[in-house]
Amino acid sequence: MGVSLRNVSKEFGAARVIEDVSMDIPTGGFAVFVGPSGCGKSTLLRMIAGLEETSGGTIAIEDTDVTHVEPAERGVAMVFQSYALYPHLSVFDNMAFSLRLAKTPRAKMREMVREAARILKLDDHLDKKPSQLSGGQRQRVAIGRAIVRQPKVFLFDEPLSNLDAELRVQMRLELTRLHRQIGATMIYVTHDQVEAMTLADKIFVLKGGIVQQAGAPLDLYDDPDNRFVAGFIGSPAMNFIAADVIGRDAGDVVLRTRGAEAHEFRAAVADPGLATGAEVEIGIRPEHLRLDAAGMPVRVEVAEELGDVSYLYTRMADGTEIIVERHGSRDRLDGETVSIATDPRHVLVFDRQGQRLR
Amino acid sequence: MKTRRIENGIVTAFTLLAAACWVFPLYWAFVTSIRTDENVVAKPGLLPDQFNLSSYADAIFNTKLMIWYLNSVGTAVIVTAVVIVISMMCAYALSQIRFPGRRLLYLVVLASFMIPAQALVVTQFILMNDIGAINSWAGIILPQLIVPVVIIVYKQFFDAVPKEMREAAVLDGGGEYTILFKVYLPLNWGITTALAIVTFIGVWNAFFWPFLVVTSEDMMTIPVGITQVNDAFGVAYARIMSVAMLAALPVVLAYLIFQRRVTEAVMISSGVKG
Repeated sequence: MGVSLRNVSKEFGAARVIEDVSMDIPTGGFAVFVGPSGCGKSTLLRMIAGLEETSGGTIAIEDTDVTHVEPAERGVAMVFQSYALYPHLSVFDNMAFSLRLAKTPRAKMREMVREAARILKLDDHLDKKPSQLSGGQRQRVAIGRAIVRQPKVFLFDEPLSNLDAELRVQMRLELTRLHRQIGATMIYVTHDQVEAMTLADKIFVLKGGIVQQAGAPLDLYDDPDNRFVAGFIGSPAMNFIAADVIGRDAGDVVLRTRGAEAHEFRAAVADPGLATGAEVEIGIRPEHLRLDAAGMPVRVEVAEELGDVSYLYTRMADGTEIIVERHGSRDRLDGETVSIATDPRHVLVFDRQGQRLR
Repeated sequence: MKTRRIENGIVTAFTLLAAACWVFPLYWAFVTSIRTDENVVAKPGLLPDQFNLSSYADAIFNTKLMIWYLNSVGTAVIVTAVVIVISMMCAYALSQIRFPGRRLLYLVVLASFMIPAQALVVTQFILMNDIGAINSWAGIILPQLIVPVVIIVYKQFFDAVPKEMREAAVLDGGGEYTILFKVYLPLNWGITTALAIVTFIGVWNAFFWPFLVVTSEDMMTIPVGITQVNDAFGVAYARIMSVAMLAALPVVLAYLIFQRRVTEAVMISSGVKG
């Protein structure tokens, strides 16, 4: 196993920022920790790096317990959000820094740095100072500095956050290629769920220092365990509507929205605990809603036309916002009232604690 | 527009007047040093009426000026080097390493900064006497090695270095000394140079402590040696001024060469003091 965490916790004084986290990341896997600010994802990464001590639990890298091992001896390399390049050193010297400290023979060091530079297309920039490079190039140098160490695990702490949108997409692809090329275990921290979805083999969604759900990106998207994961994964976010269970019909649960203009939805949920009268929330992804005259009426506030796709930002009578994704239609619907519907299999149901009912 | 011009004129006039007040003692010392002692007493005046370097020759050949020079250079170089290195290491520890008592230690540094040097002179003298360091290099140098303001300035600069820089070096396998000397020092060369120059000038000009701790002429630094010139020649103004001019020369040169750095250091340490 590339990285294994068992019951890991972290406390800063009285504040518990990581709670009893256990996870396994296979060797060669690309794991992404995702969550909102303050969820503990960076702390968890820093604990794996050894930059933060654990308050409890164990961390193993390649099946060796490294919980109390010095950072430099864990076999990890880290790429920071701010790049953390040494401004007084050239690109070559930045990349060779760890090799020099390890007293690597000069010829071997030169070869390793040049190989990393070749992979990252930095061959022509080795004599430059970091200040002479663009943001993307600096980020590549930071990655190069990690590569030359030939670590067992690469750790990325929001490495693309300082780049503009276009460069971020480009670097995302380069990271994917790099992962395939060198095949090392990688752990990546981000608050951007798009980065998480596009890069990861396995996503760990964190909130309040607790792993809410872990799994393959599409598994999390299609089959979230709770309301938080359902709302966090996916852009635009899932729509949530407060509703009451009013009964069952042909295997589906029948739910009625609250408020003056109540509307019925059906959900393919088998959970026997879902009794009539239960207060729940239903979740429907924007792309699963369609315009249907027999559906629930909503008023279109804004229609965003993106060419191939358009988003209708609508409101129900009680003020709940509902986003509808449409393909292939360019009707101007701003200010109009439309009716929306969905299939029962696309309606997710969450209990009052936010747990998914299946 | 006209008012602005008048305002500028007044400010310029005041600046020139202040500059003249600052320059006048130097001018007076220089003019006196290029006259003969007899001439200085017989014909007092503001303008130089002769260009005579005999007092410089006297100072160089008939006093221990060269020994005092060497003593001053030795003392200033050693004190500057040691102050910079130990202050940098102390500041790095206070800024970057988490250890029990760190805040208390920093408070001690701050507190020692607030105690005037004169208040410590008696205890330092007794201590130096107890360890037999009177009239020795150790006696001159040791008490001058504690310069809290250098620690405080360094700490401020080290605090401003992004913590990721240190963490990257830790992950690269760097120990604390490696990180300090290969990352933090190169990142702070500017302030290091500035602090070194200001410390050097301060030690070069130091009079009170070396005057107390040294009685042997062969151990004296230049500022203390000047008092011996007075004793040797009686009231020999030209010769005293020529020694003073020669004593000031290295400091003046250092200031002229590193003017920007010295100004930077003075402003930073003034900011700390403020």
